[in-house]
Amino acid sequence: MPRAIWSGAISFGLVSIPVKMYPAVSPKAVRFNQLDGRDNQRVKQKRVNASTGEEVPYDDIVKGYEIMKDTYVVITDDDLKSLAPKASRSIDIVEFVEEDEIDPVFYQASYYLVPDELARKSYALLTEAMAEDGRVALARVVMRTKEYLAAIRPTDGKLMMNTMMYSDEVVDADGIPGFEELDDVKVTEAERLMAKTLIESLAGGFNPDKYEDSFRNEVLDLIERKSKGELATAEVHDADTDTNVVDLMAALEASVAAAKKARSGHPTGDASGATPAKPAKKAAKKPAKKAAAKKAAKKAPAKKRAKSA
Amino acid sequence: MLYPDVHFTKGEVINYYSRVAAVMLPHISGRCMTLRRWPNGVDGASFFEKRCPKHRPAWVPVAVGPGNESSRSRQRTNDDDSPIEYCRIEEPASLVWTANLAALELHAPMARAEDLATPTLVVFDLDPGDPATIIECCQRALEMKSMLDALDLAAFAKTSGSKGLQVYVPLNTPTTHDACSDFALGMGHLLMKQNPDAVTVTMTKAARPGKVFVDWSQNSRHKTTIAPYSLRAKPTPTVSTPVSWDEVADCAGGEYLSFTASDVLERIDALGDLFAPTAHLQQELPV
Repeated sequence: MPRAIWSGAISFGLVSIPVKMYPAVSPKAVRFNQLDGRDNQRVKQKRVNASTGEEVPYDDIVKGYEIMKDTYVVITDDDLKSLAPKASRSIDIVEFVEEDEIDPVFYQASYYLVPDELARKSYALLTEAMAEDGRVALARVVMRTKEYLAAIRPTDGKLMMNTMMYSDEVVDADGIPGFEELDDVKVTEAERLMAKTLIESLAGGFNPDKYEDSFRNEVLDLIERKSKGELATAEVHDADTDTNVVDLMAALEASVAAAKKARSGHPTGDASGATPAKPAKKAAKKPAKKAAAKKAAKKAPAKKRAKSA
Repeated sequence: MLYPDVHFTKGEVINYYSRVAAVMLPHISGRCMTLRRWPNGVDGASFFEKRCPKHRPAWVPVAVGPGNESSRSRQRTNDDDSPIEYCRIEEPASLVWTANLAALELHAPMARAEDLATPTLVVFDLDPGDPATIIECCQRALEMKSMLDALDLAAFAKTSGSKGLQVYVPLNTPTTHDACSDFALGMGHLLMKQNPDAVTVTMTKAARPGKVFVDWSQNSRHKTTIAPYSLRAKPTPTVSTPVSWDEVADCAGGEYLSFTASDVLERIDALGDLFAPTAHLQQELPV
């Protein structure tokens, strides 16, 4: 069950609505560990003193801010603590704005806001009123030690909160090389019409299920194949297809030994494939592969028993 | 209404679990059960519940089992599993309680709570990649059965209640998760060699169209498999149903194998518990 990462209250005028916050997205990037390519051992990081090369104990590490080359101001945890925003337990709605006015570049992480049992009524009321009004709420919220600007909008009877970038965190397009030259480009009416026709031909409703991270799927597939690679070779040499008892035992022994070897070679030492495959199982179905799938099924023999049966 | 398509109510779910308790409990008691709940019925959202709810009745016992493998717990404890208290389902009343929580699906690990390091069975989860069906699973299961026969190992089959078929080899003797995983993967490879076009041991969906995936990884410590007699959250209340090898053979010939809650209650009256031996039959892995 998903776990709430924050709890507090939406504060809106004199009204206070206790809510819990749940992440609304869970990114699924494939994570790699760094290994020593010579013996596949994990690579460990050490913090060392840049001048002496000696390892620095964790307790001796302090934060420094470089004010000019090789000159630092040391900032202690206490310094930061005195500045940190007060651990407020509220999402303070400060104003309501039109959603169109917010450029998507401002949006960061998405969260669901879930009302506490006793606050359902006021939550539903706020959600409904906002849905009818059509504007989104801007709010201030403190999560961990950072104060965020956030946008709260109703979707399908629920409130969703997006933390936002501050305006000085958004990069100004004027500073990006190559944009200025666009001012000199001229297009003809015929070209414009053709481009519009092309857009029209590709127009459709937004259906996010159509898209999947094919690179991630390929990486997972590659991991699977590589984790089985040793097995495939070991088998070709050692195991035999004959299924009389003695040969079956020999084949089984070879297969099990190969399985064991593959597992012990796996960095986690756990059953290889169990971890990387989890997200793959969840991957959306690929309609495009159906044709290939049908072909494979035709090739499969309708019924074939082992010879020893 | 938990199965709105066929008007199967929570009352009927509770009735099913209370009547199936006598044959189901031997297979789930003493294990760290994972509940999968559909509070708003099978058309709504579901969630897995490993940690036994705090609001459980005092008479529902718990047992510490494998920690969950979420990134959160991995970060905190590096590679050490953090302990989780799971529900144990030891008596009919507990099954009624979980049914009342809309825990339609009950998932069981291969080991008992008292000895988490020792699985009592090996499971081969045969999962058909579209467009393959349970018919192809039954065909492969028969091949697997003849190999297991040759190794003098008794095996038992049940439908997954979803698309596939599971073959269990009871051990009830000292073994390890690694040995069971290796055995299952080894068998999977032999099966694949006999039928390279029809079998895969690779979990990636892309490798599976039209093939039967022999999921050997469910023998690992932190994995669970749908329990015998558990309902599934499909449009109709299908059940993970123990079946005879004759039925598997009929299925391999083209007869679909699928049973709903009411079918299963009738089968139990007529056939008893086809899975009964798995709870105590003692066998040893040959390698």
